[in-house]
Amino acid sequence: MLKAVVGFILGIVLFGVIAFNMADKMMLREVASPYGVEETAARIQRNIQELSDNGWTLSGLRNPAKAVANSGTNVPPVLLIEACSTKYSGPILKNDATRILSILMPCTITVYKKDDGKTYIGLMNAALMGRMFGPMVGEIMGYVQEDQAKFIKFDDSRPAPKLIKKKPGGGAAGGAKSDDGC
Amino acid sequence: MSFIKNTAGTFALMLAITLGAMVGGMPTTAWAVADSAADAAAKKSKSTADHSKFEELDVDFASGPEVTKACLECHTEAAKQLHGTKHWKWDYINPDTNQHLGKHNVINNFCTSVPSNYKFCTACHIGYGWEDDKFDFTAEEKVDCLVCHDTTGKYKKLPGLAGHPNYEEMEWPPKSGKFRPATDLENIAKNVGKTSRQTCGACHFRGGGGDAVKHGDLDTSLVNPKRHLDVHMDASGLNFSCSECHTADAHEVAGSRYQPTAKDEKGHLIPGSKDERNTATCVACHDNAPHKGELSKMNEHTDKLACQVCHIPAYARGDQFTKMTWDWSTGGKMDENGKPIKIKGSDGKVKYDSKKGDFTHDRYVIPEYQWFNGEVNWTLADDTFDPNEVVKINSFTGSSTDGKSRIWPTKVFRGKQMYDKVNNKLVITSLSDDKESALWKNFDYTKAVNYGMQYAGKEFSGEVGFVETEMSWPITHMVAPKEDAVDCWQCHKENGRLANIEGLYIPGANNTPMIDKVGLGLAAMTLLGVLLHGAVRYFMHKRGG
Repeated sequence: MLKAVVGFILGIVLFGVIAFNMADKMMLREVASPYGVEETAARIQRNIQELSDNGWTLSGLRNPAKAVANSGTNVPPVLLIEACSTKYSGPILKNDATRILSILMPCTITVYKKDDGKTYIGLMNAALMGRMFGPMVGEIMGYVQEDQAKFIKFDDSRPAPKLIKKKPGGGAAGGAKSDDGC
Repeated sequence: MSFIKNTAGTFALMLAITLGAMVGGMPTTAWAVADSAADAAAKKSKSTADHSKFEELDVDFASGPEVTKACLECHTEAAKQLHGTKHWKWDYINPDTNQHLGKHNVINNFCTSVPSNYKFCTACHIGYGWEDDKFDFTAEEKVDCLVCHDTTGKYKKLPGLAGHPNYEEMEWPPKSGKFRPATDLENIAKNVGKTSRQTCGACHFRGGGGDAVKHGDLDTSLVNPKRHLDVHMDASGLNFSCSECHTADAHEVAGSRYQPTAKDEKGHLIPGSKDERNTATCVACHDNAPHKGELSKMNEHTDKLACQVCHIPAYARGDQFTKMTWDWSTGGKMDENGKPIKIKGSDGKVKYDSKKGDFTHDRYVIPEYQWFNGEVNWTLADDTFDPNEVVKINSFTGSSTDGKSRIWPTKVFRGKQMYDKVNNKLVITSLSDDKESALWKNFDYTKAVNYGMQYAGKEFSGEVGFVETEMSWPITHMVAPKEDAVDCWQCHKENGRLANIEGLYIPGANNTPMIDKVGLGLAAMTLLGVLLHGAVRYFMHKRGG
């Protein structure tokens, strides 16, 4: 009996250690990009705009590296692309129990350079994270993850689009100013 | 000294005014007078001459050479000094390699060559009127004093004017609808002063025909930089001008791309020393063992690594993108109306131009590292090569074993440029002159090369091909603050920054099979010894017990 209890406790501890060590890789995904930071971001922006049927619009583009540089530290380029879909955000925001998840809005994709000189795309594992908040959120976030996969699918034959620096209007802004975001 | 005196004088004045006000009070007007006196003292020039008071400059100058004549009335030897410099001659023979170099003689993989393109290229010459191969290098009035000594920021030499500024109102850029007023030479002449980041940068930040194009570590973000971008040039800190390091002696400026100092073993510069040396090195100020206390371990790196390897983590860290590649072979595409086109990339930089082909740009670029002993071998117009291999426009010489080399960070600019397909030589191309032969007029590479080669007196087969080329640029500006230096682990790991450097053993990065085998052997023997010892003790104990 004692052996069974000790084994059970050890199993839990082992699971906890493994989960703790793998949590970052499970929750976040990193994908290498064949393009530079600006071009990667611009191509993602175009893909987001082309999924407007699913309610997606661009909410903004942020450059946190610039702010850090202005405070006096060198950091490689980082661009945050913010996008939102009212189709997905609506049901979550409508419900008292899930409204707090607005803290995760708008959906953010990060594009950055690492010290190997290459460009990477960082995404949240929306489906896995969504499952933690019940079936409704899990289902919605599953769709978000499917769309995210399309955001980072690049068509090499198409020319590089212009990076959209100003925050676009309409859509996710819910009729208010675009910089209100989701 | 004068700075200390000025500061002390201003402080004494302010102290006297403050004490006076405390004792007897002071009317507002008196404060104002005192303020303006203090301001005047603070603003007082360190120079012994105020050029705005010179009657010789009280002239409505019609041209640059007229200004120079006025300058030479007092600075009688200045032009003669300038005539001996690389900045004037664009011509240099490297005493180590005997190669005939200088901007006028080398071919690069940007706009390629100066001959037949003088009017445009000489916008960055420190002279007036170099528009063909008949320029008089002995004419003193052709030296341009203002381009280096302007303090107004209003003096600009535009491409196409053979080194002159515009003397009349001029549309610039061409067909832009924007007009530059005529250059006010009198005002600029009355406001001359020391060189600055802005005056040096007018050419050196715009090498290759535009901001940040050529060097990668020099661009207009250094005109007014913050500390993180360059700890020496930090506008609100040390605020170095270029001449703090690139000191000048009789107008010859220290530092050279043609004969760089890769390993300065002379230690820090002693004031008054008669030693002829390049003052534009890190060591000239910081010595070869600059790390103190717990960082002193770092000094063990300085025999192999240039300071720049750790202290410049990336180049093009400012606001500008630097050009990384240039493919001339794709030039000449037109729109549906037969007009030349320009296409911009996501970064807002032109990535295709009918006149020039395709480009790529980047920022915050991790350098490529090379052993370098200061000797650079150039592929010149008379040199032949194998076009199936990448042609190195300039090869940095060096190795881990020659005792003269350090590892240097470099920008390697990659191009695909015109060459003589039969003779396997680089070519001189007429790009920009207002002749019909110029590439940017007719988009005909053969015509343009033919004219350029004839102009330079070089043989040309008549067949133009495109060959891949590389050109290396040492990275030495944009020095980051020490807290932003490259972390140890960026090299001391597998596939780290120096992974491609031969002749190095980097703990954590390399495995030498022999050392690994010896280490494993020692560990195995230790284990075996422990086990044997334990076993013997165990059996002895059993037997004894």
